[in-house]
Amino acid sequence: MDGKVIVVTSGKGGVGKTTVTASIGAALAIQGKRVAVVDMDIGLRNLDVVMGLENRIVFNVVDVVQKKCKLKQAAIKDRKIDNLFLIPASQSDDKSIIKPENMVWLCNKLRREYDFALLDCPAGIEQGFKNAIEAADEALVVCTPEVSSVRDADRVIGLLYAHSITPKLIVNRIVPKLVEKGDMLSHVDVVDVLSIDLVGLVEMDDAVVVSSNTGNPIVQQKDSKAGKAFNRIAMRLDGHPDLPVEDPMAHDSFWKKIGKKLGRKKQE
Amino acid sequence: MTIPQPPVKLKGVGDSLWITMDASLPAETLKQELCKPFERLRHLAVNARVVLDPGESQADDALIEDLRAFLQQRFQVGRVSGPPKARITPAADGQKAAETGNNAQNAWLHHSDDTLVIAGRVRSGQKVEARKHLVILGDLNPGAEAIAGGDIIILGSLLGTAAAGQPANENAIVLGLDLRPTQIQIAGYVAAGASSSSGKKPEFASLKDNQIVMADYLKDNIFKRLAWPEIR
Repeated sequence: MDGKVIVVTSGKGGVGKTTVTASIGAALAIQGKRVAVVDMDIGLRNLDVVMGLENRIVFNVVDVVQKKCKLKQAAIKDRKIDNLFLIPASQSDDKSIIKPENMVWLCNKLRREYDFALLDCPAGIEQGFKNAIEAADEALVVCTPEVSSVRDADRVIGLLYAHSITPKLIVNRIVPKLVEKGDMLSHVDVVDVLSIDLVGLVEMDDAVVVSSNTGNPIVQQKDSKAGKAFNRIAMRLDGHPDLPVEDPMAHDSFWKKIGKKLGRKKQE
Repeated sequence: MTIPQPPVKLKGVGDSLWITMDASLPAETLKQELCKPFERLRHLAVNARVVLDPGESQADDALIEDLRAFLQQRFQVGRVSGPPKARITPAADGQKAAETGNNAQNAWLHHSDDTLVIAGRVRSGQKVEARKHLVILGDLNPGAEAIAGGDIIILGSLLGTAAAGQPANENAIVLGLDLRPTQIQIAGYVAAGASSSSGKKPEFASLKDNQIVMADYLKDNIFKRLAWPEIR
C-alpha cells in the first residue's frame, strides 16, 4: 500500500514547523512506521540541525530531483531511531530550483518507499510553499496562540482548501498560565477562528529547546509534556483518529482546584 | 389646458441620444421632424448611438428600420436601436399598485438587484465584493475583506475589514451578530475597530454626523422607526 505525504506548514515563521516535523516523524517511526522527513526549506535548511544529523549530509533533495543521486542515497538514517530518515534541503540553492512537477515525481517516489513522508514547508506562501503542497495528501497547519500566527494560518488554510487539501490543526506553544490569566488566546478561540479539525494541543516546554539544540528527539523524553502531545498526534495520524485531544488547561487535578478555591498557593 | 406634445423629442441619456417620437404620424413627417434637432446637432450626431422610443404609441419594426436607414445615411449616426424592452415595475403593475397605494406589500415582488448572498467562512487574504448589498452566512475572519455598494450583513462573527456603501452611499450600514471588526468603512469614512463592545451580540455600524458609530442592533434598530417596509 502506498504511503502518505503530509506537509507541515504555517504561513508564519518561527511557530515550530521544524520541531513539529521532527517530533512527529520520530514518534511515527517509534510506532514502527517507515518515515521520511523532508526539508523543503531550500536555502535555509535546519531540520538536519534539529535532528542532529548535519554532519552526515552528502546528497540533498535538489540532487534527488535533478537525478544526480537516488532517493535512498540522499536519505540519512537517524542516529537512534531505526525507521526514521531525513532528506535534507540544499543550502546553496534557491527555492525556484524545484518546480511543482518535480514535486509530483518526488512525492510519488516517497509514497512507494515510506509509510509516511513529512514535508517541512518553508515559511511564507511563495514558490517554496507552492512546491511543498503541490503533491501532498494531507496538511498539518501549525499555529501558536498569537493573533499574527492565527491570521497567517488562516491564509494558508484558504490556500490549502483552494488546492483541494483538507488541513488539520496543531496549536503549538500554549502557556496554560497565561491563558488562564487571559493574556494569551486560548486554543478554543484559535479553533473558533480557523474552524478546521484539531489534531493536537502542544504545551510550551523548555525541554524542546534543549532537545533541538542537542539533536535528541523530544518524543523519547518520557516526562516532557510536549513530547507526550507529539506522541498522541502521531497516533492520531496513524490509525487512531478518535484519540481524544488532551487539553493542557485541564492539567490541574481535582484537589489542586479545591486548594486554589480555598486560596492556597499552588505547590510547584 | 393641455400643451401639445412635439412629435419628436431628443435628449441625451447616458452615452446615447434618446428620441421620443409619436409613431402614429406618417414616416415622412417623422423624418422631417427628426431633421430639425439633428441639423442643429450635426457635429454631435456622427457615430452617436441613437435610441428610438415610440413611447406609448406602437411602432412596428419596419418604421424603426426605415428611420434607422434614414438617420444613418443623412447624419452618419452610429448604432440605432429600437425601443427598450418594457421592464415590469411595481408601478406598471397597474391596479395592484393603485389598490395598495404606498403600502409596500407588493413592492418587492418584482424587485431584483445585485445583492450577493454567500455562505461560508471568508478567510484571511480572501476578498468578497458585491455591487449592492452583501450577506454572508458565516464569519469574516481577521485579514479578510468584504466590500459592498450597499449594506454588509454578516450572520456570524465580523473580525475582518468591512467596507460598506462604496463609493459614496452614506446610508449604508454594517451589521454583524458578533461585531469585532479590524476596520469599518462606510462611504468615504474610516473607523478603526477599537470597539468597546465585547461582541457576541448583534450590533451595527452606521454613519452619524460624519462619524461611524456602533450600536446594539436590538436596542437601537434605526429601521424600527420606518412607517412601512421599504426596499434598501
